[in-house]
Amino acid sequence: MQPSTAASSRRSASAAVWIAYAVVAAWLALSSIPVLWTTLISLRSYVDAFSAPLKWIAPVTWEHYARLWVDQRFYVNFGNTAVVTVSVVTISLTVGCLAGYALARFRGSIGFWLLIVALVFRALPHSTLLPSFLAMFDAVGLRDTMLSLVLVLVAINQPFTIWMLRAFFAGIPQDLDDAAMVDGCTRLQAFRRVIVPVMWPGIITTGLFSFLLAYNDFLISSALTNADRMTMPAAIAGSIHAESEALLMQGIAGAVSITVPLIILVAIFQRQIVSGLTQGAVKG
Amino acid sequence: MRTSEFARFAAPSAVLMLMLLALPLAITLWLSVRQCTPLLEMATVVQTGPFGTETITTQRARFDQIGRPIESCEVVGLANYRQILGHDSADAGSEQRNEFWEALKFTLLYTLSTTPAILVGGLTLALAVNLVTQRLKGVVIAASLLPFIITPVVGALAIKWMFRDSGLVPHLLGQVGLHVFWMAEAWSARLLIILYGIWHVLPFAFIVFYAGLQSVPQDSLEAATLDGASSWQKLRFVTLPHLAPLVVFVTLIHVMDAYRVFEPVLVLTQGAFTASVQYLTYYILMQENNPFKASAAAVLTVLGIAVLLVPLLRKTWREQRKGF
Repeated sequence: MQPSTAASSRRSASAAVWIAYAVVAAWLALSSIPVLWTTLISLRSYVDAFSAPLKWIAPVTWEHYARLWVDQRFYVNFGNTAVVTVSVVTISLTVGCLAGYALARFRGSIGFWLLIVALVFRALPHSTLLPSFLAMFDAVGLRDTMLSLVLVLVAINQPFTIWMLRAFFAGIPQDLDDAAMVDGCTRLQAFRRVIVPVMWPGIITTGLFSFLLAYNDFLISSALTNADRMTMPAAIAGSIHAESEALLMQGIAGAVSITVPLIILVAIFQRQIVSGLTQGAVKG
Repeated sequence: MRTSEFARFAAPSAVLMLMLLALPLAITLWLSVRQCTPLLEMATVVQTGPFGTETITTQRARFDQIGRPIESCEVVGLANYRQILGHDSADAGSEQRNEFWEALKFTLLYTLSTTPAILVGGLTLALAVNLVTQRLKGVVIAASLLPFIITPVVGALAIKWMFRDSGLVPHLLGQVGLHVFWMAEAWSARLLIILYGIWHVLPFAFIVFYAGLQSVPQDSLEAATLDGASSWQKLRFVTLPHLAPLVVFVTLIHVMDAYRVFEPVLVLTQGAFTASVQYLTYYILMQENNPFKASAAAVLTVLGIAVLLVPLLRKTWREQRKGF
């Protein structure tokens, strides 16, 4: 290669690196500013939060958080979200692990059909089921209960859960089951004592996505529950079209309150979330 | 594994999906051809007021023993569908509005405009992150996950508060002489929904492409360099072909998710300017309180996604068939 070409290619390489840093910086700003700005204005009084001209620095107040958590009893909604997400994750994983394991080990066309039907349900917009859910739960007296919300979220979660867990179980060699069963385990014992212990990374990754679905759901929660049984996202719906300043500021404090646990979650489980996102892609 | 064992292991999951996904879908289909109206009866009410006693004959709903209104239900065929598609002859004279078609048009606009944006944006970001130093990569990935995992209703609200009058964005745009009332006009409200969609899903495309870039065959890249290929040629003829299956994967997942866009429509337009198909069902059910018309909208929604997803189903079908 001639010296002049080498120099110009080195110049264009360093230009590319500069552009890369600019793109990354721009994206970091875009991805974090909405969250940072919301957090900032949640700590201001209304006149400082939405002032003309805009204020970059303003006195800090915790008033809206106090109103929301104490006066509006947001802790009730927090408790509901905790109960709903823990129940949904536990039931989803228990039911999903059994089915995912069976789908990874069974070679028959029923398994194939179950997966295809699950994929169709994965694509279904959830609102299409709402009219029936209301009618069904009215008929059996389960409308506006946490139980009906948990069951619905688990069911909606199942298609995704069994596809993901099946892929993880398929990565565990079948020799392990066979060895355990030769040693006298039943199928269920082999599953519980031998397979599940080596499956924990897959179970945690799948559990995180179940958690996100349950925690982030607004559509189902707001349609199926009222008042003291609402989860956090459903509870802040009132601030969507809020006219009053107090309600608006409490909504902003609520939005930040909902986001803080998610930020902690990303900090702890970043690697599992990334592996979960790319896992489906690698499998095709 | 024997069939009986498979049945026992898969039963809980299958029963849940049967009872809470398949059965409701069937019920929605059934509701969509029905209509119930409260039974009315003529009642004589005696009112005593300051101007003497008055006897009024009025209509009121009849109630059963536990106080629920008695309804009379009938099968109305396709009447609910006609109503939602704007072909209702009873409404003749009033403005004929095809609510479903309007919602579908925006849903498709949203899908078709966000898909190329997240593909190009995600790929650009993945290539850029690949070039920066190792130490920064972890931070970028962590910060990128935030828009993706944030509660959608909260993310949309954060965008709304930033674009609200006296918010951050109007202030910054005002500095350069641009004055837009974002939530007051149809075009800007729609643009906001699309911008929110890109912001929310771009990290997903980025992470998938970034993972794909780590497995680009290095010897092909070196061979191309030796043959005198420029950086652009290496990208075009080595890297992009390697990523092609991931582009298909991201597109299909995003089309599924974009078709059910809901929270940003609810939050950002106040229902005034635009609807998505999922928002339409929700609105008719919760605001108009008409589960029968809502069911008709739901069935049309399912038909729409079925048409969009036939290619995906055929691909998965062929691949999975091999495994069994």
